[in-house]
Amino acid sequence: MIKIRGLGKSFTGQDGSTVAALRDVDLDVGAHEFLTVLGPSGCGKTTLLKAVAGLVPWDDGDILVDGAPVRGPGPDRSVVFQDFALLPWATVLDNVAFGLRMRGVGRAEREERARSLIATVGLTGFESKLPGELSGGMQQRVGIARALAVRPRVLLMDEPFGAVDEQTRRLLQEELLSIWEEHRPTVVFVTHSMEEAVLLGDRVVLMSARPGRIADIVPVGLPRPRAGDVGALGKSGEYAEITAYLWDRLRAMHAEHRPAGAAS
Amino acid sequence: MSAAPAPRAPLRRILDANWPYQLLTFALFAAVWELYARQRGGLLLPGFAETARATVDLLGEAELWRALYVSNQALALGFGIAVVAGVPAGIVLGRFRLVERYADVYLNILLVTPMAAIIPLLVMSVGVGLASRVLLVAVFSIVMVVVNSRTGVRQVDPSLIEMARSFGAGERQIWARILLPGALPAIMTGVRLGIGRAVTGMVIVELLMVSDGLGGLILTYRGLLKAPLLYGTIVIILAEALLLISVARWAERKLTRWARTQTTGGAQ
Repeated sequence: MIKIRGLGKSFTGQDGSTVAALRDVDLDVGAHEFLTVLGPSGCGKTTLLKAVAGLVPWDDGDILVDGAPVRGPGPDRSVVFQDFALLPWATVLDNVAFGLRMRGVGRAEREERARSLIATVGLTGFESKLPGELSGGMQQRVGIARALAVRPRVLLMDEPFGAVDEQTRRLLQEELLSIWEEHRPTVVFVTHSMEEAVLLGDRVVLMSARPGRIADIVPVGLPRPRAGDVGALGKSGEYAEITAYLWDRLRAMHAEHRPAGAAS
Repeated sequence: MSAAPAPRAPLRRILDANWPYQLLTFALFAAVWELYARQRGGLLLPGFAETARATVDLLGEAELWRALYVSNQALALGFGIAVVAGVPAGIVLGRFRLVERYADVYLNILLVTPMAAIIPLLVMSVGVGLASRVLLVAVFSIVMVVVNSRTGVRQVDPSLIEMARSFGAGERQIWARILLPGALPAIMTGVRLGIGRAVTGMVIVELLMVSDGLGGLILTYRGLLKAPLLYGTIVIILAEALLLISVARWAERKLTRWARTQTTGGAQ
């Protein structure tokens, strides 16, 4: 579904020095796979996601989606943003319908589709509210509904639950799983939470920082469907084993970087 | 419980509103004016009461309404140009840094130049007519519109632009759906401030160069030593400016209600 080969990108700092954000990233994401990308902050995981989305250019390598090279945003992909990125002046309904509007879908059809997705994410009755009147969790439900409304084949999620509280995060994870289990889009989900990466993903891609590289890919054998029972999964032996392994790797990465970055 | 606050409620509402205080300072101002005019007396210093009477008289004069029409023609056309040209200019400046590098210095010149100084220049190049007055009103007020629109565009969350791009929005859609609505609160502030400057420009050009409209009326009354009518004209100009600014403020609140849900609701 998604094929990434030799992806490299560097940023030029204000002092003229270059920082490698991504180097030699090779990655394949299967159709209908739920892939989570885990790594310390600054490892380039968001850059990787936005490159796949076609939102940031890169220096080396190729990204193919369904065999076609990515040259910009496309109707086959949609993004859920960390900071929700909702239009503060538009109602929930207009926000959910926004992507459809950009793609030229007529008013009646886009409102009908938006309403059905608002129902899917449990926001029926809030159609005419403004984002400022909603809690963070509800705002991200709007963000998810907006991304799903355009019926993407690939859903790209950039730390979508990073800005909400713990209980809300749990609920959103369960809801996301049940939506995914029903519609089965390909998902690339970036997170800095080990627990989240393991609970949601079919595989966890572990990235290391400076330069951002793929350090490991860990398959998660937890049974599906997982939607109903995220809590119980969290107590299983396999879950404990995988998170322990990931934690070892992350700690080792951190130790590696300490001499260079002692200040952090 | 329900009976006790009831008698106090109307008083509360009066004390919480702005107008009682404004009325109080106005009464004080009128009293001081009246007293001073009676002490000093003189042909060129009418009292408050006399001015008020003259203002009412003026409202019945065809002369005044003709002057209002002439002046407001320049105001409406000039300020219209300022908004229609200033808002897109401000958005371009806010969105494209490169353009701003070239244009910034001219904007600063417009901001700091004493506008009265460019009136002779304008009259020499455009002539003594409607065009000259329209142009001056536009030049006077456009800076406020441009600067505030630019600020408004800068304040638009860049992630909204990224979001729109992710759904395939082109530059035109980003302008119409993200930049313009996002900058609207600041644009409306610019419009409100711009109206004040437009009225100033309208009167100044008439006073200094093109003796016509309300400014022309002021000059005529001064020449005839009709001080109460002169003061009355000024009162009417002030009333118009206040009215226009109130309308702009009302429109601002009406159009940008979301900006207040934003600050109180926040991301949580």
